[in-house]
Amino acid sequence: MTGQSDEQKLAEFEARIAAGDRVEPGDWMPDEYRQNLIRMIGQHAHSEIVGQLPEGKWIPYAPGFRRKLILLAKVQDEAGHGQLLYRAAETLGKSRENMMDELLAGKAKYSNVFNYPTPTWADVGVIGWLVDTAAVINQTMLAQGSYGPYARAMKRICYEESFHIKQGYDAVVALTKGTPEQRAMAQDAVNRWWYPTLMMSGPPDSMSDHTARAMRWRIKTKTNDQVRQEFVDHIVPQIRAIGLEVPDRNCAYDEKSGHYRFTAPDWNELRRVVNGDGPMNKERLEARKKAHDDGRWVREALATKGRSVS
Amino acid sequence: MSDTQWETYEVFHQSRRGKPHEHVGSVHAPDPEMALQMARDQFARRLECVSLWVVRTKDVTGTDYQDPDFFSRSFDKSYRDPKGFNAPAKIEPDTP
Amino acid sequence: MTGISPNIPRDPLLKLLVALADDELILGHRDSEWTGHAPILEEDIAFSNIAQDEIGHSLALFTFYSELTGKSPDSMVFERPWKDFACCRFVAYPKGDFAYTVVRQYLFDEAEQVRMNSLLDSSFEPIRGLATKILAEEAYHLMHSKGLVVRLGDATEESHRRMQQAVTDAFPQALGMFETLNGEADLVKAGVVKPSDVLLQQWLERVVPTLTDSTLKTEARRSDGTWNIQCKPDHGGRVGNHGEHLKQLVSDLQSVYRTAPGAGW
Repeated sequence: MTGQSDEQKLAEFEARIAAGDRVEPGDWMPDEYRQNLIRMIGQHAHSEIVGQLPEGKWIPYAPGFRRKLILLAKVQDEAGHGQLLYRAAETLGKSRENMMDELLAGKAKYSNVFNYPTPTWADVGVIGWLVDTAAVINQTMLAQGSYGPYARAMKRICYEESFHIKQGYDAVVALTKGTPEQRAMAQDAVNRWWYPTLMMSGPPDSMSDHTARAMRWRIKTKTNDQVRQEFVDHIVPQIRAIGLEVPDRNCAYDEKSGHYRFTAPDWNELRRVVNGDGPMNKERLEARKKAHDDGRWVREALATKGRSVS
Repeated sequence: MSDTQWETYEVFHQSRRGKPHEHVGSVHAPDPEMALQMARDQFARRLECVSLWVVRTKDVTGTDYQDPDFFSRSFDKSYRDPKGFNAPAKIEPDTP
Repeated sequence: MTGISPNIPRDPLLKLLVALADDELILGHRDSEWTGHAPILEEDIAFSNIAQDEIGHSLALFTFYSELTGKSPDSMVFERPWKDFACCRFVAYPKGDFAYTVVRQYLFDEAEQVRMNSLLDSSFEPIRGLATKILAEEAYHLMHSKGLVVRLGDATEESHRRMQQAVTDAFPQALGMFETLNGEADLVKAGVVKPSDVLLQQWLERVVPTLTDSTLKTEARRSDGTWNIQCKPDHGGRVGNHGEHLKQLVSDLQSVYRTAPGAGW
């Protein structure tokens, strides 16, 4: 490795990736690879901790012991996932302090889907079922990625997410079997979450800047549209099987392709929401900022004590 | 005094006695004792666990991926490998 | 349904179970309010764990109660009027700042140690098993909350100030955990429980030295081997004398459930 030019290093790096080898912290890597991953993993981490808020809001109102415990465990997992992901990003040289600061200053992006409100209890189940299914499809793909720490984090997270999907689905099924009001609440939540969930897989391939390089370096192994199609094919039969409707008249199975046709989301809306103009962006960031500011004295005190104890 | 997210500690998890401790990740913590508690909540809330170790990340000394010579094997050393030898057949006791 | 042998006073026992179960539930509910809002990620995960454990303890106590009475845990918690709750007032106060939460958790965890230990040789056998299980999880809670108290008590000027304020507020409130229950004398006579004032002394023996060592003052003084309290205890919870905090909490807690009480969720 010593004495090699950057071109040689890059060629060797790409050959290793093509051979299916992993990249570990401390390995030489092109700066674009490093920056791409920091951005991607950071966004993923931010999504997890911002994602605690829309569902966490319903913990005090959860209807029954079981739902309360399950929801608490689920939201706890999200904090845990954020923790794993920040750590993976830290291995690439960016500190958690730095990442937190960027998020709270509105400089970092996170998944659009958490910028939507959760006005009813049914939203909790629908998020667990729809959003986490989309997340698992994406994360299963990312677990095959080239960067060791991220791939390992993905494996661990996927295992826990399967619980999230099941509990969400279970909560929605309970509603469909209940009173007419409960059923209506479930359908209303599906209607509101359908398009935001489709947008989770990212902009269409035709509009995506980052995809080509990401594929070559096995940061991603499938495109946004591929992941989105996989999600639709998987979820539409599930939705219909429990007597709920997909809020898209064009959504139909196409015999020839073996896939479901569907109406594309409004990409302008995605752009607006991702860039800070969604219904809940301000509120989500303010909540995180308040938690951070209110907690400063605790972090400082324990750090001070920690130094004198050790 | 600066506001930090604390230092990191690498976490090693032993699922059962008899198994080795495995590296599972890291936690941010203000001291080793709290690191153990954080590790328990983060890495043992589902997995079976009988023992956890935490080590300050900066106390871990490791090799450099970019120095593969550290692990170089240029010459044949298969003489160290038990496969290279004829093993004695089962030895019968001498019959008187 | 499980029966209670005739030498055990039935009504006082049931009241005791509800009081303990209500304490766990309401505190767990308050703890859960930190999920997504804790000072640091690792503490978010830790407190969510503690919240789940406390709510789990409540469920275990209410499940046992349902074996004795036929009333399900969900019906007890999600259909009972707030005035019929028997938790101490202490656990229903808002979560406050992190100092108040930590101090409340610590004082509660020490009370659990004392109370559950006292039930290990109860004349009412089934409660011994419950107490053993709860104690096992509580060991970790105490390690965590005590660890935070000891560290935050004197770490910085601000942490000391906040922790002292928390102790000043919480200490009189915490005394309500040991308010004598109706029918306690009968339970004591039957060997089911130890007297509340004995438990209180044991609790003071544990918490006051720890707080003092962490530079936190309380209104408890020791003389001739007995602890004397110099503040007015915040009693009333055990007899249904609750404040607005519990009323709001229970209203929130029950709001979704009550939209379809007979239905599944």
